[in-house]
Amino acid sequence: MRSTYGVVLPDMNLDNLPGKLIVIEGTDGVGRSTQIRLLRPWLEQQGRAVVDTGMTRSKLAGRGIKQAKQGHTLGRVTLNLFYATDFADRLENEIVPALRAGFVVLTDRYTYSMIARAAVRGIEPAWIRNVYRFALVPDAVFYLRIGVDDLIPRVVFSTGFDYWESGMDLHPSEDMYESFRKYQTALLAQFENLVEEYQFKVIDASQDVPVVFEDLREGISDVLAEKSEPSPGVVVPQLPAEAKSDGDSPLAGSNGAGS
Amino acid sequence: MKRYGEHRFPGKLFVVEGIDGSGKSTQLNLLHQWLRAEGYGTVFSEWNSSPLVRDTTRRGKKKKMLTPASFCLIHATDFADRMEHNIIPLLKAGAVVLCDRYIYTAFARDVSRGMDAGWVRELYAFAVKPTLAFYFRVPLDVAMKRLLNGRNGFKFYEAGMDLELSSDPVESFEIFQGHIIEEYEKMIPEFDLTVVDATLPIEEQQTRMRQLVKAKLAQAKRLRVAP
Repeated sequence: MRSTYGVVLPDMNLDNLPGKLIVIEGTDGVGRSTQIRLLRPWLEQQGRAVVDTGMTRSKLAGRGIKQAKQGHTLGRVTLNLFYATDFADRLENEIVPALRAGFVVLTDRYTYSMIARAAVRGIEPAWIRNVYRFALVPDAVFYLRIGVDDLIPRVVFSTGFDYWESGMDLHPSEDMYESFRKYQTALLAQFENLVEEYQFKVIDASQDVPVVFEDLREGISDVLAEKSEPSPGVVVPQLPAEAKSDGDSPLAGSNGAGS
Repeated sequence: MKRYGEHRFPGKLFVVEGIDGSGKSTQLNLLHQWLRAEGYGTVFSEWNSSPLVRDTTRRGKKKKMLTPASFCLIHATDFADRMEHNIIPLLKAGAVVLCDRYIYTAFARDVSRGMDAGWVRELYAFAVKPTLAFYFRVPLDVAMKRLLNGRNGFKFYEAGMDLELSSDPVESFEIFQGHIIEEYEKMIPEFDLTVVDATLPIEEQQTRMRQLVKAKLAQAKRLRVAP
């Protein structure tokens, strides 16, 4: 049976969620979405149905948060709770139903980014952890680790410095470069604090995209090969031995796409 | 981030709590008039939440998209905005701040909807502790009589219709408010709520309130402004 970080939401049945919840975490610009774009077709080619989700994509609160960030008008506690609302809506309406239907849920960030960001902004660590205690414990968290010196060129040559990703709300007097360096250094330190606490599987994201992809595929294959625990009280149909091994083989022997 | 506790701001915060029909808003209005006449810089904290949060809440309610969890969190977001942008700056400025409903409403409502009591309390740890929190205690049937005279019908979430307690809104409201009263009763010792017997005549309740408020303002003479 699945578990949460300590609080179960009303009407959330943790039994019988046979899908896999896989989190891709890492800082801004580290290449999470690039990897998810590669992982999705790779999983689908193996016959795995995939749902991908990410922060601020909820029907309920996504639009409000995006608009709020444009105006930079919300206070820090308010913005954190707005994100938590978005997360709860996606957890209940997207993630849990997909897991129940046996999907692989690939999520671009989870609660850990929110915890790391909040810590940099002076929000009390115990408080923000409590906020997200209702989150499901994922099957795996892959943390794309990078140093700030490797991160900077990627950001400069892709999207450029963003107001929030540079922590300009924290360092308003500085230029974007200085602020980005300072903010990301602090943020990466916070992520490191979480590695052990939440058992991140660390991937070296300073490598080239195909290499990172290969590492992720390897890690995800292992996770998918783990049997979902049959839920107590639910009759699991017995598959013939042949069908069982068929179900496992594409994962173990995959060469994957885009490598 | 400061935690729920005695704040050190020069202002004072008085809040009223109770179910609909307890008469708490009437009492707060009378208190407001009196404080102004006495020359205190008094502000009624309006629920002027950010339009962004407000629109989300409104949409969620209108489309009945809210679960107990998202109902709880969007209201906490809304409250945080009010705390950060309204209540705290006013208290820093030395105002006497009056709130019609506070975090205890959220605790009663969310726990009645099945949210974890400890978790919800911790969620609101950023709220400042009121100088005094009045709880207007009223038997459910008295409140129902007052409400049914003055209005037609209840809103979906207000009546707890999302919990499917009853298909009849009035009956659902009554059951839901019963749960809320139970939660308030638990909070009286926990948060040191000041209980006011809301079945007493209005003037008597107000006299008691003014005495208690006055005692708290005695140490805050410098808040006085010209009327």
